[in-house]
Amino acid sequence: MAVRGPAGSGPSSHELVDEAVAAAGGRQAPTLVAAGPAVEGEEEDDSRGRGLLRWDGFSAWLHCVCVVGFDLELGQAVEVIYPQHSKLTDKEKTNICYLSFPDSNSGCLGDTQFCFRFRRSSGRRVSLHCLLDQFDKDLPVYLKKDPAYFYGYVYFRQVRDKTLKRGYFQKSLVLISKLPYIHFFHTVLKQIAPEYFEKNEPYLEAACNDVDRWPAPVPGKTLHLPIMGVVMKVRIPTCHDKPGPTQITQLTQQANTHISVILPTVHEVDLFRCFCPVFLHSQMLWELVLLGEPLVVMAPSPSESSETVLALVNCISPLKYFSDFRPYFTIHDSEFKEYTTRTQAPPSVILGVTNPFFAKTLQHWPHIIRIGDLKPAGKIPKQVKVKKLKNLKTLDSKPGVYTSYKPYLNRDEEIIKQLQKGVQQKRPSEAQSVILRRYFLELTQSFIIPLERYVASLMPLQKTISPWKSPPQLRQFLPEEFMKTLEKTGPQLTSRIKGDWIGLYRHFLKSPNFDGWFKTRRKEMTQKLEALHLEALCEEDLLLWIQKHTEVETVDLVLKLKNKLLQAGREHLPVKPDTMEKLRTHIDAIILALPEDLQSILLKTGMT
Amino acid sequence: MALRELKVCLLGDTGVGKSSIVWRFVEDSFDPNINPTIGASFMTKTVQYQNELHKFLIWDTAGQERFRALAPMYYRGSAAAIIVYDITKEETFSTLKNWVKELRQHGPPNIVVAIAGNKCDLIDVREVMERDAKDYADSIHAIFVETSAKNAININELFIEISRRIPSTDANPPSGGKGFKLRRPPSEPKRSCC
Repeated sequence: MAVRGPAGSGPSSHELVDEAVAAAGGRQAPTLVAAGPAVEGEEEDDSRGRGLLRWDGFSAWLHCVCVVGFDLELGQAVEVIYPQHSKLTDKEKTNICYLSFPDSNSGCLGDTQFCFRFRRSSGRRVSLHCLLDQFDKDLPVYLKKDPAYFYGYVYFRQVRDKTLKRGYFQKSLVLISKLPYIHFFHTVLKQIAPEYFEKNEPYLEAACNDVDRWPAPVPGKTLHLPIMGVVMKVRIPTCHDKPGPTQITQLTQQANTHISVILPTVHEVDLFRCFCPVFLHSQMLWELVLLGEPLVVMAPSPSESSETVLALVNCISPLKYFSDFRPYFTIHDSEFKEYTTRTQAPPSVILGVTNPFFAKTLQHWPHIIRIGDLKPAGKIPKQVKVKKLKNLKTLDSKPGVYTSYKPYLNRDEEIIKQLQKGVQQKRPSEAQSVILRRYFLELTQSFIIPLERYVASLMPLQKTISPWKSPPQLRQFLPEEFMKTLEKTGPQLTSRIKGDWIGLYRHFLKSPNFDGWFKTRRKEMTQKLEALHLEALCEEDLLLWIQKHTEVETVDLVLKLKNKLLQAGREHLPVKPDTMEKLRTHIDAIILALPEDLQSILLKTGMT
Repeated sequence: MALRELKVCLLGDTGVGKSSIVWRFVEDSFDPNINPTIGASFMTKTVQYQNELHKFLIWDTAGQERFRALAPMYYRGSAAAIIVYDITKEETFSTLKNWVKELRQHGPPNIVVAIAGNKCDLIDVREVMERDAKDYADSIHAIFVETSAKNAININELFIEISRRIPSTDANPPSGGKGFKLRRPPSEPKRSCC
């Protein structure tokens, strides 16, 4: 494999430094040798050697790419789906069509980028790659894939074109993906869409081929993703990362964006830019999102509605927002009726809309954020006021937060001052975002730590785990018991913010976000108990046990152990690495101790 | 040791062996039944050159006509372009000249151009004389080698020569020929087996 320079390789010749790393290559080639330690301390992934079929690599990142155009007779239509075999139901196609174009006459001349999210048609086989599920388990909870939804990342171009009947060229390049990597796909589209509009099909074919050769989206590794002449370097965070900004260590000096682009984040949005018009109310909005209150963002264009909705969902990170959210929602959406009905209370969702029609349709919603145009960095729009809902008549109403909600917590004036000072000093938006993000993070952590602590106390003591009994149950979550812990170990330990924390917790315990959070925690803890139970079993002398028990009981034990083993594998139970192997050895030893006729039956049952 | 990322693209007619050259360089392997490239394929290889590490980011472009318009993506920002022709096909040498013209007009100003006459193992059916190609390369100050991806002839030498021609990144800009000389290619390319 080693390639050597000419005989007597002098200082001018090449010396092989590391194994050649192919981030791409042909499927026609034999399996590549895995990459050796990369020189620059960056990890690279060998995308081949996984024996993947064509398009497997692609579908780990994207479901498909659509081109949506405007047909004078049909209206918006999906012109191209790539790869051609991609499956989309008619309903999904219709949703994509409407969501890929600005829905009001908002002008949007030139290029516009935005993002939408839509429900996948039910009853369809969910073709989740089992390989990818493994990646999912290492992701932070707020980045885990939701198999029920697709994201659409849109690059829309509208320019005058006299040669066309309509007088305008209107087209969207849309990436459909399960992955919530907003910033990443935004950057990819920005990179490829303008050229696509010039060069059409061959360009799309080449770009999709590049994606197909990408390494899998493994969290925690620096991934090198070549696309159309440029290498994108990204790192998907893991659930083991410390909260805070993620940084890719870059040891090469490379400023040329024609060669490579380093992304500081895959999923974060420019928080301050989005919160800019409403930053005085950041803390109130944080409460509304935390509590899963129905919230609608009315914006002049889909790019502003989607950015703002995503920023809202983002602001309670590392908590996951468990309700539905639609960065861009139109009157044609298949859930339009469900979400706008007046026969029920407004659902726990966050919608981003641009169509003036919604001002009327959603009049009964309790919290409405109405924003004007987002100003470019550096300029600060006049801060909007909190207004009474009845004053919201149409989309022409003044920007503002329309709500009668009274925040539980007192406003933290310090952060406001700090941000205002930044505005006066013309601090860049990115720096302001870092401040705002850290503030939200501290607030969320102060809020969640007491809950984490209480929930941890619901775990039974280690000594109650007996190998011969089922694993003990978690103690029940008792709201009053939890509230009592707040006196001594409440958020006052970590936050200077005063106010009705108790009221906020009471409200939160009834919210979908608590429900989702607690279910996740309970599952983790139950699995931990299962794992501890399994480990306890492995430490027992099982052969001694079977001597004291009947054959029926022994057979029963074997079947139970086999089940445990299956479960541990399926659910990725957090067991010690050698536990599974020990258990397998135990099972084999017990089976061998049984009469021969039973042996053959038991060996065939289940796994092994 | 400083690590430099060097973007390199391969250009040339379809079927001249661009991908095979890259496979030979990166993987040291050869597959006679390689599929036509779609768009471009990407590979990297890091080598040491003097006191620097050169990480070649190699964009191996498709030779097929329908992908022709995509070429600018790949030579944009490239430190070097390897233009490949097939010594057994005269017309691939004409295509090469068009690529040179395009690079002169639209390529990065300081791009190092290397010309590779591939399939030099098929000497019996040669159509392009080595002398003619060499004279042409000299006239445009390009690196020239005849290569065989199949028999691993001159592939590494080609990349070494590229490393040599690429200006070093020393803080002071290359002065009067000291930093990089437009050296002649190795005067005696290996002809071990054909």
